[in-house]
Amino acid sequence: MTAEVTTVPGLSLFVPRTFQVTSTRRETRDTYTLRIRPLEGSSFSFQPGQFNMLYAFGIGEVPISISGVRPRTYDLEHTVRAVGCVTRALVRLRKGAPIGVRGPFGRGWPLEEIRGRDVLFLAGGIGLAALRAPLQYMLAQRANYGQIVLLYGARSPADLLYRTELERWRQRSGLHVFITVDRVDAYWRGHVGVVTDLLPLAERSLDLKRAIVLMCGPEVMMRVAARMLEVHGVTPERIYLSLERNMKCAVGFCGHCQLGPAFICRDGPVFAFPEVQPLLEVREL
Amino acid sequence: MAKAEVLHALHQHPFTYDMKETWKRKLAAIARLHTYAPDSLLLREGRAADAFFLIIDGLVAIETFVPERGPLRLQTISSGEVIGWSWALPPYRWEFDARALRETEALVLDALQLRKLVDNDFALAACIFSRLLAVVARRLRAARLQLLDLYAPPAGTRRA
Repeated sequence: MTAEVTTVPGLSLFVPRTFQVTSTRRETRDTYTLRIRPLEGSSFSFQPGQFNMLYAFGIGEVPISISGVRPRTYDLEHTVRAVGCVTRALVRLRKGAPIGVRGPFGRGWPLEEIRGRDVLFLAGGIGLAALRAPLQYMLAQRANYGQIVLLYGARSPADLLYRTELERWRQRSGLHVFITVDRVDAYWRGHVGVVTDLLPLAERSLDLKRAIVLMCGPEVMMRVAARMLEVHGVTPERIYLSLERNMKCAVGFCGHCQLGPAFICRDGPVFAFPEVQPLLEVREL
Repeated sequence: MAKAEVLHALHQHPFTYDMKETWKRKLAAIARLHTYAPDSLLLREGRAADAFFLIIDGLVAIETFVPERGPLRLQTISSGEVIGWSWALPPYRWEFDARALRETEALVLDALQLRKLVDNDFALAACIFSRLLAVVARRLRAARLQLLDLYAPPAGTRRA
């Protein structure tokens, strides 16, 4: 995926480049999507699934998945949940504000290898942000993929991300979207329960015994989902997941995000499930 | 004609499709097809658990009523799933409400007749209860995960 952003040769991986916020969109009570572009430069490529380190000047830096590219302007989009001092500072940024960016980092989703296959996206909570860029990519190249299904679980209807897009994706031919929430208000007429309860609905649109699964969400959700997927005939090598750990340097030096022999920032954040399955079962890691 | 439709539904439904033909015929004899309008109740907490529902098409919410808050929706059950195990356990009373959220077609098995069937045919009982146990386990796992509130904002750790 390419956005109109520059890579400046020779610039250190540790020095943030200055971008500018072009707009912010409130997704939920505590989550915003920031659109940014560089103050200077030409083009910037990233693989869907990679992340950037976003720097709130004078406050700190956090790893945030690149959640997509805005059509036409090609601004980079990052969906940020305000949970600490840095993320709170980031979501307070307004149009024109400077923001530091290092990246893109890590390994993205294997979108070329899975061409022609049916794909099931399984998202939980803010995890949808990491799956939005590959969804955008596949929709832009719709003919290159088979059936595409998105199963999305959120805490409540008020916590659903990308509401307008979800509706647009629902209506889009060839993309099936099923949403469930844990807690509801009186107005919700959709599914209530865990995201894996939607698997039988996905099976009506694609053959789970052959499909590829891309998933992102809380680690507990992904562990349970992997077991449920197995019940539905999905073998581990067809499951890819994006992990989140405490990433700091983003290039595999500091070890903050180490998971056994793997550095999430450098070797991930996207992994084939067999690569990390035994590691996820080790409680000390 | 109606029984043929019931039998056809039993051949299609994930809970029963691969059961022995003789069992399906026994179940067909005590089942009827029913369509529930949106917002209608399939069952109500405290009332006699007189049916076992195989959902053919639609969406049903499991709810409980809380004074001053109204009905609270806990879980939804969709096509291909089943509703109700209180029919199998004393005191045979529903523990929650079940409300159709949209037009819902279900196979409704008479619980009294079903209890007689399983009392007299242990092989059928084992088949039904092992499948029901899988349903209970899945719903329990889902309820536990919902209790964890996995998508809540992180708390108790230092966050950036």
